Amino acid sequence: MTSMKIYADKLLMTVSGLLFLMTASAQVEFGPISGDAELGKTSYYDYGCYGCHGFGGIGRKNLANDVSGIMFREDIFLTYLRGRSELNPLFPTQSMPNYPADSLSDADALDIYAYIRTFKDDPPDVEDIPALKAILDGAKAQ
Amino acid sequence: MTKKTDQEQGGINRREFLGTSAAAGAASILPTRSEAAPQAAAPSNGVPLSLPPTDEQMARELGDTLPPSTMRAAQRPGSDLIVQVLRDLEIEFVASNPGSSFEGLQESLINYGEIPNVMPEFISAMHEESAVDMAHGYGKSEGRPICALVQGTIGLQHSAMAIYQAYHGRAPMVILVGRDDKHFLQAHTADDVAGIVRSFTKWDAHPETLAEALPAIQEAYRQAVTPPCAPTVVILDTEVQKEEAGDIQVPVYVPPVIPTITEQQADEIAAGLMGAAKPRLSVGRFRTPEGIKRSVELAELVGASVETKSQVGPMSFPQSHPLVGPDADDESDYVFGLEASGAHAALHGPHLRTLTERDLTSINFGGIRPPVRPRRDAPGQNDLTADAEASLPLLISAVKRRANSESRKTVVLRTRHHTDANHAARLTAIEAALEKTREGWNASPVSTARIYAELWPLIKDLDWCIGGPSRFSSSHHMQLWDHDKPYSYLGGHPAAALGYGLGAATGAALAARERGRIVINVQTDGDFNYTPGALWTAAHHRLPMLTIMHNNRAWHMELMYVQYMAGVRGRGTDRAHIGTTLRDPYIDYAKLAEGYGVKAEGPIEDPTKLAAALARGVDAVRNGEPYLIDVITQPR
Ligand code: HEC
Ligand SMILES: Cc1ncc(C[n+]2csc(CCOP(=O)(O)OP(=O)(O)O)c2C)c(N)n1
Ligand SMILES: [Mg+2]
Repeated sequence: MTSMKIYADKLLMTVSGLLFLMTASAQVEFGPISGDAELGKTSYYDYGCYGCHGFGGIGRKNLANDVSGIMFREDIFLTYLRGRSELNPLFPTQSMPNYPADSLSDADALDIYAYIRTFKDDPPDVEDIPALKAILDGAKAQ
Repeated sequence: MTKKTDQEQGGINRREFLGTSAAAGAASILPTRSEAAPQAAAPSNGVPLSLPPTDEQMARELGDTLPPSTMRAAQRPGSDLIVQVLRDLEIEFVASNPGSSFEGLQESLINYGEIPNVMPEFISAMHEESAVDMAHGYGKSEGRPICALVQGTIGLQHSAMAIYQAYHGRAPMVILVGRDDKHFLQAHTADDVAGIVRSFTKWDAHPETLAEALPAIQEAYRQAVTPPCAPTVVILDTEVQKEEAGDIQVPVYVPPVIPTITEQQADEIAAGLMGAAKPRLSVGRFRTPEGIKRSVELAELVGASVETKSQVGPMSFPQSHPLVGPDADDESDYVFGLEASGAHAALHGPHLRTLTERDLTSINFGGIRPPVRPRRDAPGQNDLTADAEASLPLLISAVKRRANSESRKTVVLRTRHHTDANHAARLTAIEAALEKTREGWNASPVSTARIYAELWPLIKDLDWCIGGPSRFSSSHHMQLWDHDKPYSYLGGHPAAALGYGLGAATGAALAARERGRIVINVQTDGDFNYTPGALWTAAHHRLPMLTIMHNNRAWHMELMYVQYMAGVRGRGTDRAHIGTTLRDPYIDYAKLAEGYGVKAEGPIEDPTKLAAALARGVDAVRNGEPYLIDVITQPR
């Protein structure tokens, strides 16, 4: 990937970043889904997205119940995956890897998108989970 | 007594006196230096040849050939006195994997005394690395040493990484190393046996006689418990162990004198604490529980708010003490550090600086950067290098001398203020943590948060200790549990070196067994597989250790690194599992545990099955049996 391309990606990122802010505040609906969620489940595993995002999207960075805007639309999602090439190869961190199109095709990425959109984390309230309630009550009683 | 390094350089080598075959075959009397004839071991340039072992030697090492009978004729074997020294030092355990180079000592351990094999008790380790990890876990939990006993050269090499980790962990322990230079396999002896671990031990000795060996062990103990605490080594030759002790007496142990601050310094700090409107203590890790007790006394005398490290490691201030909490008003005007940084004054025990100050033999890691220096808080301007625990009595007296009716009222008011503020802060923190814990509650594989959350109600009223590192299972106990004991959490891998958790937890469980305590270990799979044999030690010695597998079927940390690397290079992450995952086949930890004699269940993937399994596990360990639950988990 050329540096021009990197630059272009970054620019796109910034632009779409602004877009999120605007759209998020305007409470825009999630966009349509063109991929196949069942195939996406396989790719989510094979491409190791689960590694950092958990098997159901609860992980280092939650994808379930995501409201940052990146998951709002397919094109934003794709831009995000492709736009992470600024990272320094000498000092890897465990942040989100970059996914250029020749390492993860649009089709696979959109399947993954469709799968992530199925994630819903709807846990019971603290009060309704006995173990958690016990912890809370214990802290109150101290 | 001379250290081996000094002694051997240009000195006489035992091998020059003891021809290998002569020694093995012809020892009708204990050969003295001048008696045993050199055969082929020492060429004229003084460099011993590396001879292949003789048939007799191999038989001795590998088979069941007994040592020459006259070796056992001692009426009062030297190793009995060695055991007496350990007993006097109240060393509870000697963790060991057997080796002929210490058969004399081993025999004394199991047979000497009116009640043999107690104080110390011989603990069977499957691997020398485990033996040292056990000493590490025990040392962290109790703030005092036990021994690891290992075979010269080979056993010591097996234990080397664990010693390195213990050195970084400032864990006190005495490592006894057998050395057989008489019936030796060339490969099992060396002139400077301790040399391979000298870069990361605090002190070592190679006594030549029994009379030197006894005080050497006492000195090793003294060095290990004197700050900076660390592993020490004593090399024990077979002759020293088997020697007739005659009328040699066991010397009296003299405890170390640990340097403290001066009375004047104590008074200055007391003035700072008493004069401040909002004093605060920042408490790190003491050497022993005594330090904790004293720091509680100081905090209460002053009414200071306290920051503790007890969620992240051992020997710190009890977390649910009412004075502990965030600085409610964020405006402390006198912050005093005890083995931790403090803006206005801080006491830090001395650092270990072994590589440059000690390693004169160039046996190190290729001259790596300045001293291997266990990490501490960044030094502050007002740091004093003195042991906090030993200095506290001076400080407490100084504070008491300054107290008057007015100050006592202030303390009451401050204490009330902190108690309320800290209670509120703790509640807010718990509420936030519970909201996080709730996320993915019903996920399968099981969320690591759920493991810790479900455990807490089962153990909170018991005396518990988290024996192994928790970071890779995301350390949810730090937010959810109360860390009130010196050993609540023994901390992470001090040198980030894997293969540690199981051994460390086993060592903690040794301490726990006689003390009505249980040990919890949320054990990652990668770390487990270096030294799984520690499970058998737990079964064999009936240790109250609950192992809960955080089985993410991967060296997951490394998987994430490789994914990231592939991402940076734009080559895709679909092959990142190669060499980073534990798939194909999956490992069945319950079966493995049962093979070692540890009751087990799992794999559990359904989170609703977890609580009942944990309850069974807690019951088992309360009854003095180890138990393992294999839980298939989310990656972190
Ligand atoms: C090595 C770890 C890692 C892997 C593997 C990984 N991610 Fe991420 N991802 C992150 C992190 C960390 C973030 C948070 C942003 C950051 O730190 O860069 C993130 C952020 C995201 C976001 C943005 C979420 C938001 O709303 O802010 C999306 C979408 C995402 N990842 C999708 C994926 C997909 C799809 C895959 C697999 C193809 C994947 N990630 C693989 C670590 C990872
Ligand atoms: C002795 C040693 N070898 C290799 C490493 C490199 N390493 C760091 S983390 C890790 C994987 C840990 O796997 P596991 O214990 O299962 O924890 P997880 O990351 O899966 O939670 C490895 C191999 C190390 N730290 N120590
Ligand atoms: Mg793992």
